[in-house]
Amino acid sequence: MSRESILKAVKKNKPESLPLPEIDLSFFEEEINLVETFIDNLKFVGGQAIQLNAIEAMDAEIKKLYPKASKIVSCVKESTLGTISINKDTEPHGLEDIDLAIIKGELAVAENGAIWIAESDFTIRALPFITNDLILIVEKKDIYLHLHHVYEAISKRERTFGVFISGPSKTADIEQCLVVGAHGAMSLTVFIV
Amino acid sequence: MAHADEAAVFNKDEAKVDWHDKALWFVRQKRDKSAHNVKGWENLRDLASAIKANVLSNLDGYLLQFEENAQKNGVTVHWAADAEEHNKIVHSILAKHDVKKVVKSKSMLTEECHLNPYLESHDIEVIDTDLGERIVQLAQEPPSHIVLPAIHKRKEEVDVLFQEHLGTKPCNGDPQYLTSEARKHLRDKFLKADAAITGVNFAVADTGGFVVCTNEGNADMGAHLAKVHIACMGMEKLIPQEKHLGVFLRLLARSATGQPITTYSSHFNKPEPGKEMHIVIVDNGRTEQLSREDFRASLHCIRCGACMNTCPIYRRSGGHSYKATIPGPIGSILSPGIDLKKHSSLPFASTLCGSCSDVCPVKINIHEQLYKWRQVIVKDVPQPVVKKTVLKIAGSVLANSKMYSFVGKSSRFMLKHAPRFLIYSKLNAWGKARDLPEVKNENFDEWYKKRKKNE
Ligand code: SF4
Repeated sequence: MSRESILKAVKKNKPESLPLPEIDLSFFEEEINLVETFIDNLKFVGGQAIQLNAIEAMDAEIKKLYPKASKIVSCVKESTLGTISINKDTEPHGLEDIDLAIIKGELAVAENGAIWIAESDFTIRALPFITNDLILIVEKKDIYLHLHHVYEAISKRERTFGVFISGPSKTADIEQCLVVGAHGAMSLTVFIV
Repeated sequence: MAHADEAAVFNKDEAKVDWHDKALWFVRQKRDKSAHNVKGWENLRDLASAIKANVLSNLDGYLLQFEENAQKNGVTVHWAADAEEHNKIVHSILAKHDVKKVVKSKSMLTEECHLNPYLESHDIEVIDTDLGERIVQLAQEPPSHIVLPAIHKRKEEVDVLFQEHLGTKPCNGDPQYLTSEARKHLRDKFLKADAAITGVNFAVADTGGFVVCTNEGNADMGAHLAKVHIACMGMEKLIPQEKHLGVFLRLLARSATGQPITTYSSHFNKPEPGKEMHIVIVDNGRTEQLSREDFRASLHCIRCGACMNTCPIYRRSGGHSYKATIPGPIGSILSPGIDLKKHSSLPFASTLCGSCSDVCPVKINIHEQLYKWRQVIVKDVPQPVVKKTVLKIAGSVLANSKMYSFVGKSSRFMLKHAPRFLIYSKLNAWGKARDLPEVKNENFDEWYKKRKKNE
């Protein structure tokens, strides 16, 4: 292994120590409507937002939006639509033909339409990617202005796996034409409650 | 062949060059719009640059901290001095698990190390899963851009390629159909893969975690399905603390494609129970670049591709003309550090207009470094005739560094004051009988619509 020789070379070749700058958040503060900005950005990245007055109305909306979905994994107690239950030992390859996954988002970011979900929210790491369509639920109070605040908010978590998801999977690799539905979920619906 | 000759090859197909030029300029414009939407954008760039400078100045310490924390999380950390050692390490991990099929998401580092042919020579199937990378892999070509690997390919070419390799129906290059067929084809590969290889966008010293950014979800599909996940990273990918991701993730996608963030920004910290996670930290010339005071800032690069999209030379000469893993302006300052003789024409493949430095999210002084390489090269490497002519005409300004800084450090001086025939000389393939691309008043959409109408 070259560990020692690499470290030695770095030590020898690095410049004199330079300070680590502080992040001064005052540069980035803005008075904006967080919910509206989040919804605008979510649309911009190809997702759709639905505002609900009460979480009880969610299942009816889901049935309207995804009438054909039959293999559904619900990771939230607020939905009773789940038809397939998963646990820590579920083999992820077996989720290959899942139609829909419903997951509670922990935090959302207004500036980029992203939602943070961590492994504990969806049990099987592959789930939010392998599902055909994805539903995330976000509470209004959990929408933050930008990433700086969000990293502060998630700094105390147990770190295993977590992901920011901003819209459905997409690609523009063929002549820069945007196509939604590359390898991950084909659509993303976010319920804001 | 020198860059200008390679560019001449690309320039044979005028229509394609025009398309390439405008498509990339369109991406550049999206970047501008997106950046202007962010309050404090310039502060973000300053922060990113200063954080990276701090990283390089304490790199050994951060590497050790990262290793220790990653190991605590149950991740195995490997160190590779060069491409060969990197490839051997990856192969040994795969061999230990008797892996025959690997899926790989985008990683310029594994391109740099030529990992695919190495693994293939050991009877391991490696499938690139980023759509653009899969396209160039099927065409048996290297990527021509670090973010848009197949930007040099027209949709009709992809159509033919997919008919041949994936058995698709002829479709006049319908991107929707071709993408959905690629999805099916690669879904199967994900499900059957024994191991996944990914790159690393950022590695966090104080948590031992790393972040991988994709739009397609291919890194996650690979990593979460396979038993073994190997993440390969250049040693400069480190950042000190997790909160610094806030700075870099705000800059990366906006600079790359104009998106506010990539679709997926995946934070890996621990392997799942029963699975393995490996990180290979690679030097391969980076410590040497670190020793070069004038050029070490090139290690700040977060591989967003913005300098390529904005570069008038890159847009009109195509990524392949650089004959290097990283093309474009940043490639032209990295490559001479790896092989000065082979890449000696690259620092001349620039008008020194400075547009690259203007858009760079980590504020690398790219055009100044290009100029500095020229000085090194003029001293050390015999020049091809064309460039000698260029230099002769450029006269004292190019050859005399004091005078260069006297004219205000801005190399735009050259663009403004050098004779037109120097910049657009017939001898320069990329400038052949053309002005700087005039696209100010026509965005890509309009251009694309017009083009469609004329078809
Ligand atoms: S040099 Fe700067 S602009 Fe170019 S790819 Fe790297 S980070 Fe992006």
